[in-house]
Amino acid sequence: MNKTVNINLAGIFFHIDEDAYLKLQRYLEAIKRSFTDSQGRSEIIADIEARIAELFNERVQNTKQVIGISQVDEVISIMGQPEDYLVDDEIFEDEPKTNYKTNTTPSKKLFRDTDNSYIGGVSSGLAHYFGVDAIWIRLAWILLIFGAGTGVLLYILLWILVPEAKTTAEKIMMAGEPVNISNIEKKIKDGFDNVTGTVTDVAKNVSDSVSGAAKNVSDAAKKVDFKKQTNKVKSSSSAFFDTIGEIFMFFFKVFAKFIGLLLTFIGAVTIIALIIAFFSVGILDMIPGNFSHFLNAGNTPIWLASLFGLFAVGVPFFFLFYLGLKILINNLKSIGNVAKFTLLGVWLISVIGLTVIVINEAREHAFTETYTVKHTLNIKSNDTLRIKMASNDIIDNRFNRNGSFKIINTKNGSKTMYNSDVNLIVRSTTDSTAFINLKKRADGSDYDKAINRAKNINYNYNLNNNTLLLDSFLTTEIDNKFGDQEVEIILYLPEGSFAKFHTNTESFLGYYKNSSDIVSANNTNHLLKIIEDDVTCLDCTDTEDDFNVNIDVDNEASKVKINNKGIEIKDDDVNIKIDNKGILSEDNDVKVKIDANGIEVKSKDN
Amino acid sequence: MKIENTKAQMRKGVLEFCILSVLKNDDAYVAEILSTLKDAKLLVVEGTIYPLLTRLKNAGLLNYRWEESTSGPPRKYYGLTETGKLFLKELDTTWNELQNAVNIVTNHTETSTAQKTTTNE
Repeated sequence: MNKTVNINLAGIFFHIDEDAYLKLQRYLEAIKRSFTDSQGRSEIIADIEARIAELFNERVQNTKQVIGISQVDEVISIMGQPEDYLVDDEIFEDEPKTNYKTNTTPSKKLFRDTDNSYIGGVSSGLAHYFGVDAIWIRLAWILLIFGAGTGVLLYILLWILVPEAKTTAEKIMMAGEPVNISNIEKKIKDGFDNVTGTVTDVAKNVSDSVSGAAKNVSDAAKKVDFKKQTNKVKSSSSAFFDTIGEIFMFFFKVFAKFIGLLLTFIGAVTIIALIIAFFSVGILDMIPGNFSHFLNAGNTPIWLASLFGLFAVGVPFFFLFYLGLKILINNLKSIGNVAKFTLLGVWLISVIGLTVIVINEAREHAFTETYTVKHTLNIKSNDTLRIKMASNDIIDNRFNRNGSFKIINTKNGSKTMYNSDVNLIVRSTTDSTAFINLKKRADGSDYDKAINRAKNINYNYNLNNNTLLLDSFLTTEIDNKFGDQEVEIILYLPEGSFAKFHTNTESFLGYYKNSSDIVSANNTNHLLKIIEDDVTCLDCTDTEDDFNVNIDVDNEASKVKINNKGIEIKDDDVNIKIDNKGILSEDNDVKVKIDANGIEVKSKDN
Repeated sequence: MKIENTKAQMRKGVLEFCILSVLKNDDAYVAEILSTLKDAKLLVVEGTIYPLLTRLKNAGLLNYRWEESTSGPPRKYYGLTETGKLFLKELDTTWNELQNAVNIVTNHTETSTAQKTTTNE
């Protein structure tokens, strides 16, 4: 069931369905807008209406028949779309007119304005979009370029991604005016020479109306007032709610743009950082835990892992960046499905590649094997052994235990890697001479590999004049690759011998003693006597029992004395004494005494 | 550059001339003019003709009179004015010249290609 409308077309009466009527009305309106008065608009419209009436007349058999939407469609197809009515100036334009159905796109779109361009028209396009003068955008670019150079990258990206305003319709959209026949015609009438002039005018108008959001509100309020006066309560309230809705939409849009800006920024910064990192240090070096060494074992080239890392992290951030741009810019040129799927594919390959590398690496650490060497040291009971860490001029470390490898060039030109993963453990022994157990330990994918790697650890020490010099580092050939190599030195000292650990051993000793580990970092720089499963400190002083300060300056006349009795300062004519009796201050003129009897102040003159 | 645009431009260029030609011997109302032009496939949609007719009328080349119709609204019968007739004559000459010129150009290339093919044989 349809509601019908009665219309009068060129003096003929028709019944017409409501939806068909609305369509016909829109059609005639669009045609009307495609002509100007100077062309004889009213006459043309009258003629067209007459013709439509004729065509309708042919299609109805009697006056009671109703015209439906199908008849209207038929007539429109005979008469042609509004664009077909434009026969004069525009016929020499190459681009086809945009379909009039999409005419009423109200939002502004970002295009590059090549009519006012310096380079690619990005700035003037942005100026139209934000409704500001292009000079400000250009200044911002210059600042960005001097800032970090990111401006250049961003400009190029926008240049690629933002389409150029080629057709009149796009130029109008760029200015934010709705695209309809009358606007297009206006543009054409104004002539292409001053198109840009009108565009900026329009842009100003639009920006005025957009930026004056508060004004909108007050306008709406006025509207409400006015309508209240005319007692149209219903329509006024709907207008009020419309306005509220508009305000919400406005803030929502602002919020969305803000999110878009944030995403774009995060994406861009991350991508730039990743690219810089890739070309300077390799992506995986940024991850804590010495990944680059971790990689050595599995024969994976670092650049490949870095590349995988770049894409595995970079591609999601690129999409984030793109999403942000899409929120910011309504009609962003799509990067295309091919590009999207290529990126997705690259990302998947990278993730899979990284996974394979990680598994491969993890396999290299499946076995941990220890290779032990025992040496006897010529230290007997009652001997004193000094223990000290040593580095050399090539490997200069600060006597801190550290498991990460560094690579150095040795004197004969080959490359060696070293770390300082050296652990010093001291135990007591009932044997008459001291001995040392060197445990070299490494990981590998199987037993043989692990034990080989362990054997290939170079570690040296030197006993000289009862001083044990322990290397603070271990080295291994670079071919052995990283496999968690470490050295554990277990030093067995006979009971009754003496030992003194240099302070630089602190980092290599454990921080706490445990059952059989008798020396900790706290015991360095003291003379220790080795007893059964423990040590005693021979030169440690106990701060709780002793009064350590003992200053005694004694001249002929003056005296400064600080001892367990108190403080005493004595000069020719001054005597200050603080002790368990009280405080006494005395000179030639005055005597002050504070003691158990009270306070006494005495002047000798009186 | 789209072929449709070029075609439309060519067709629209001769449209005014054709409208005047239709009215050369007899007055006609819009539907008649339209059917002639549509039969000749000069027009695809009818809308195009209205601004043209109005323009020709405003230029003083056409005039019209109203006639009642038994079925439908009253009809506008268009006819040529004296200036219109002169205008048409002028256009006729131009068209003939143009036709000649186009013929010569197209035939020349045709014959030359024909000659080429014969020499090839």
